[in-house]
Amino acid sequence: MKNVQYILKKICSSKELLIGITILIILILVAILSPFIATNDPYFLNDDLTARPSSKYIFGTDGLGRDVFSMVVWGARTSLKVGIVVAFISSIIGTLIGGIAGYLGGKTDKIISEIINIFLMLPTFFLILIIIAIYGSSLTNIIVVMALTSWTGTARLMRSQAISLRERTFIKSAQTIGEGNIRILFRHIIPNGIFPIIADSTMAISSAILSEAGLSFLGLGDPNVISWGKIIANGKVYLPRSWWICTFPGLAIVCTVLSFYLIGEGMNHLLNPKFNGKD
Amino acid sequence: MRDYIRKRITTGILTILFSFCLTFFLIRYAPGNPIKVLAGTENPNPELIEHLTAKYGLDKSIPIQFGNYIKNILKGDLGYSYMSNEPVSKLIGEKLFATILLTLTGVILSVIVGTFLGVYAARKAGSIFDRLMCSACYVFDAIPGFWLGLILILIFASKFGILPTSGMYDLRAEHQGFARVLDVVKHMILPVSTLFIIQMPMYFRIARSSVLQTMSEDFILTLRAAGMKENKIFNKYVLRNAIIPTITKLSLSLAFIISGVALIEIVFAWPGMGRLIMDAIMKRDYPLLTGVYLMISVSICVVMIITDIIYALIDPRIRLE
Amino acid sequence: MSLLNINYLNIVYKVKGKKIKAVKDLSLNIESEDSVGIVGESGSGKSTFAMSILSLLPKEITEITGDIIFDGTDLLKIDEERLRQIKWKEIAYVFQKSMNSLSPVHKIGLQMNDIYKIHEANATDKDTKERILELFNLVNLSKGVYNLYPHELSGGMIQRVSIALSLLHYPRLLILDEATTALDVVTQGQILEEIMELEEKLKLTRIMITHDVSVVSLTCKKVAVMYAGYLLESGYVEDVFSLPKHPYTRELLNSYPSLTGERNRLKGIPGSFPDLSVVHRGCIFADRCKDSMDICFVREPKTVEISNDWKVACHLVGGEYNG
Repeated sequence: MKNVQYILKKICSSKELLIGITILIILILVAILSPFIATNDPYFLNDDLTARPSSKYIFGTDGLGRDVFSMVVWGARTSLKVGIVVAFISSIIGTLIGGIAGYLGGKTDKIISEIINIFLMLPTFFLILIIIAIYGSSLTNIIVVMALTSWTGTARLMRSQAISLRERTFIKSAQTIGEGNIRILFRHIIPNGIFPIIADSTMAISSAILSEAGLSFLGLGDPNVISWGKIIANGKVYLPRSWWICTFPGLAIVCTVLSFYLIGEGMNHLLNPKFNGKD
Repeated sequence: MRDYIRKRITTGILTILFSFCLTFFLIRYAPGNPIKVLAGTENPNPELIEHLTAKYGLDKSIPIQFGNYIKNILKGDLGYSYMSNEPVSKLIGEKLFATILLTLTGVILSVIVGTFLGVYAARKAGSIFDRLMCSACYVFDAIPGFWLGLILILIFASKFGILPTSGMYDLRAEHQGFARVLDVVKHMILPVSTLFIIQMPMYFRIARSSVLQTMSEDFILTLRAAGMKENKIFNKYVLRNAIIPTITKLSLSLAFIISGVALIEIVFAWPGMGRLIMDAIMKRDYPLLTGVYLMISVSICVVMIITDIIYALIDPRIRLE
Repeated sequence: MSLLNINYLNIVYKVKGKKIKAVKDLSLNIESEDSVGIVGESGSGKSTFAMSILSLLPKEITEITGDIIFDGTDLLKIDEERLRQIKWKEIAYVFQKSMNSLSPVHKIGLQMNDIYKIHEANATDKDTKERILELFNLVNLSKGVYNLYPHELSGGMIQRVSIALSLLHYPRLLILDEATTALDVVTQGQILEEIMELEEKLKLTRIMITHDVSVVSLTCKKVAVMYAGYLLESGYVEDVFSLPKHPYTRELLNSYPSLTGERNRLKGIPGSFPDLSVVHRGCIFADRCKDSMDICFVREPKTVEISNDWKVACHLVGGEYNG
């Protein structure tokens, strides 16, 4: 109970965290409860084509008569799923690779650093485009490709964490009593260096959501799910007269991405406050 | 210093090789048959298949295709596009200028304005201006560029009709000389604004935080204790130290100058690389794809190496590493 | 002659709605050509005090009251321009973490040149360089250092550069803030020796801020012991360190290995450091003091002079009458 109170107090002490978490909770509720919140079947083709927002169609309808509000509600699932899973996989890859490079140092570090440098110089979005276009645009493919191309940031962060932790006394003593490298890596290095990674991964969720939206906008999203980017792409043609089709899903993207940015930023502030009092 | 440059160039070449092999094999081992796409029908007759296969060298084994391709690249020949039957280098060359014009304008504008605002906000840290800018930048960062482009088109082109919606020139009016330049500028306003809003926050934030960071360094205390005037401390010592992260970021933006704005180009129907990339991908135009990819990789590496060298000139600590 | 006279100095940090009392009612008199060591744990306010002398604390979050009288002028009351004339010319610092006390992207010579010209605007480059090289010679640095960057030097060399930098205008008061703490023992010893020689030669007055009691006993004439913003005991090193009157001074000395070579048991001080943001009643050290009496928790002890500049603030040595 005390812990919960402590965490709540911390959250309230940072404006960014408070706003970010509030938006996120709403989004998650929307995603979970989408069948109940959506006012219409998102796939149903109503007779009213490009109908203005009204009490019947809260965000209006698109060119085929689908209810935009219901599509936006269902789209939350796709965005959150892609964002969270991609960030999760890529931070695991990044943490492991960075942790190994930083902790072991020497030749291993040199080789891994070079690989990281190479990956940093890859035109990631272009690569994702090619792979998705060629190997098919199922949600799984999208997630895997994005995760495999976005771990470098985490790896660099974890590497520098591991390098500084490596020199600390408790690691040295663990080495002295003969704990194995793998054990030290998992028991000491990663747990002690993980907090900045968590903040960083939260921000990575944002970029993954933006990338997925871009892919769907280009028509390379999973055709079997509802995605905000795709709604925008479909609404593009009707833009001059039916502004609502593009506007609402875009706003949904902005809010979602913003919430993760704010949470990540808020965590960073809590982790390294600029002012800790003084000697 | 020389070692440092040599090391960077090695990494660059490695990257080009790696990414090139990656795409080449990704594409060649892809499911789906390009012949069908080339023939324009699901069931091409055997003669046509044979003809096309021989013409594009698809009958050779993949390692031989790879070898041939490398040989040709070294001669400066990127091959022919399957779709238009024109040299890949010519296709790229036609689109390159438009893309570079657009991105370079956007990047330069974002760097200058973003850095300037960031430095100003840092000097007035905690002020209303500072807090307003910081909040605005969060929101700007969360906006997908392609959507922002659409909204700008909606407002300025559709609603008010003051700016053109798409393209690079007015195709109906055959402008010449200065009128043509003005026409292009008019067409650039919306896409460049989109790029600006998307990229400016990054430079704002970097400039702001690195100025604040530098201001809290111990050497600033030394200079203050020595009685140096605040303006001199700022102009001579803070700025030079604080500019380094901006240069790193600038190099990243410039590196992705060709591929990074594809989405925005497509929204504005800008006749640049964006459309070419999408066409190449959608139509499985392998020579064009690998050519574009090679082009992008090389440009990324060249820009990175150049900025690394500039970086080393500004920050003496780098030279030693 | 009194060079620096501090009367009832109070420094408060205002951070996140809290008021942190970093220095409380500090009074200290430093004579010309004295060398005074100020010792205390981290958080004792010794660095804050040192920084306040030239108003180097961030103005938005600090509140300073009291007098800091340097050679007849109250440094807290004069305007910025007059303070600027005193900075570095009369009072100079060698900061802790000297590694970062110079800009990493400018050559050392250039930075020293700039700092020299703050007060000697008309000096030619040639004269300035000569002056700097002369100082390098004084602190045993080679001429080549002039054209190097800070990261190209070792910790000891950087520290020597910092000392040379502080001596640019031959100041009267030199403040060393943990200046040798980061160095290895041998280099630290060498540099301390050199500082003492320079002091003789240049007739410097020195304040040495450190948590290392042995440095003070080796290099200073006088010592002032600070704890949680309070000055608990001050006087000549031979008095204070041989017969410490304040229980905290005793604990502090016990927590360091004996200099005379006797093998005493090393002891930490039990209890934890007080929270400086809450209002405190009684003696600040009472919670951790082995000899505390009832009165210690009720009344703040008054500072009494025992003899010859030896001052103690403790109920055990009198000083009950302070509300």
